[in-house]
Amino acid sequence: MSFEWPWQYNFPPFFTLQPNVDTRQKQLAAWCSLTLSYCRHRKLYTLDVMEAQESPVFNNKKIERKLAMEAIQVVFEELRKKGNLEWIDKNKTRCLIMWRRPEEWGKLIYQWVSRNGMVNSVFTLYELANGDDTESEEFHGLEDWMLLRSLQALQAEGKAELITMDDGKGVKFF
Amino acid sequence: MGNIFGRKRRPTRVTEQDRAVLQLKQQRDKLRQYQKKISIQLEKERLLAKQLLKNGKKEKALLLLKKKRYQDQLLDKTENQISNLERMVQDIEFAQIEMKVIEGLKVGNDCLKKMHEVMSIEEVERIMDETQDGIEYQRQIDDMLAGSLTQEDEDAVLAELEAITQGEEVELPEVPTEPLPEAPEEEPEPEPEPERGVKKPEREMLAV
Repeated sequence: MSFEWPWQYNFPPFFTLQPNVDTRQKQLAAWCSLTLSYCRHRKLYTLDVMEAQESPVFNNKKIERKLAMEAIQVVFEELRKKGNLEWIDKNKTRCLIMWRRPEEWGKLIYQWVSRNGMVNSVFTLYELANGDDTESEEFHGLEDWMLLRSLQALQAEGKAELITMDDGKGVKFF
Repeated sequence: MGNIFGRKRRPTRVTEQDRAVLQLKQQRDKLRQYQKKISIQLEKERLLAKQLLKNGKKEKALLLLKKKRYQDQLLDKTENQISNLERMVQDIEFAQIEMKVIEGLKVGNDCLKKMHEVMSIEEVERIMDETQDGIEYQRQIDDMLAGSLTQEDEDAVLAELEAITQGEEVELPEVPTEPLPEAPEEEPEPEPEPERGVKKPEREMLAV
């Protein structure tokens, strides 16, 4: 399945931040949704700003346009304001990207668990994200931090409880 | 303050058994990862051996295949261990279920016992006796009351019933007053032959 680029992607001015406030707002919104849908398509959970610069999202080779570093920062900052992004380090070089909120992931996981009659069972985190049973599930390959957050969200709802052991974590669903 | 209180209020629902299961599963995960590593290695070595054979280095290829064989065995062993672990996990889970079943049975048993304490056999017997007495008493009363009507009275009642039923007129619909449709007027014609006369009205009726 190939990624479907929005029309703006082949529109050169899209790659330059617009001075007009209204236009800029719209442009940023389009960039945000493009970034999120691209990450969703590629199942990306962490982004490195330097690498992002080279990724096809911000670098359209066909029309030879690139989004400048500062502009990428602006887009990322916008995403952070919307709660889709979190910086890992102070220098803002790496970030966590959440194209689905932890609660939604938690819901998906819990749906899978209850559909398979495995409520009241214990799981290792590895098993949930990398096990053979979850191969066809959307949350397969979920990064640890995201998995942990979604499980914490479930824990807050009383649907799960995290278990910490010497080597690694586990979870029990209720 | 509220936070501490909140945490205390909700005791952990994770049992010792859950922890044991988790430990087993973690072990299994490790084995699975190990398995993955070995199978990737195997694949690599197979390709390498092929390459060596192509280059005419038979000795080396043979050595590599020996190593591969050993790893194959390792893979089998880990597979066995994994299934052992999984069986253990299932055993524990099933034992937990059995425990719950027994608990349920126990509660049911206690409940049944308590209810039986309330209903002793003597009590039931006494109640049944009393009920029997009550029924007997009621029948006597019924007899007495029914007895106030003599056979003569009964006959009178029946006779009255008969009179009422006979006196009722059966209501019939009114007889129509208008003349009948044309059909009968044509009838005299074929009268000589009764067979046709019977047939014709039928045909006409169909036509209508």
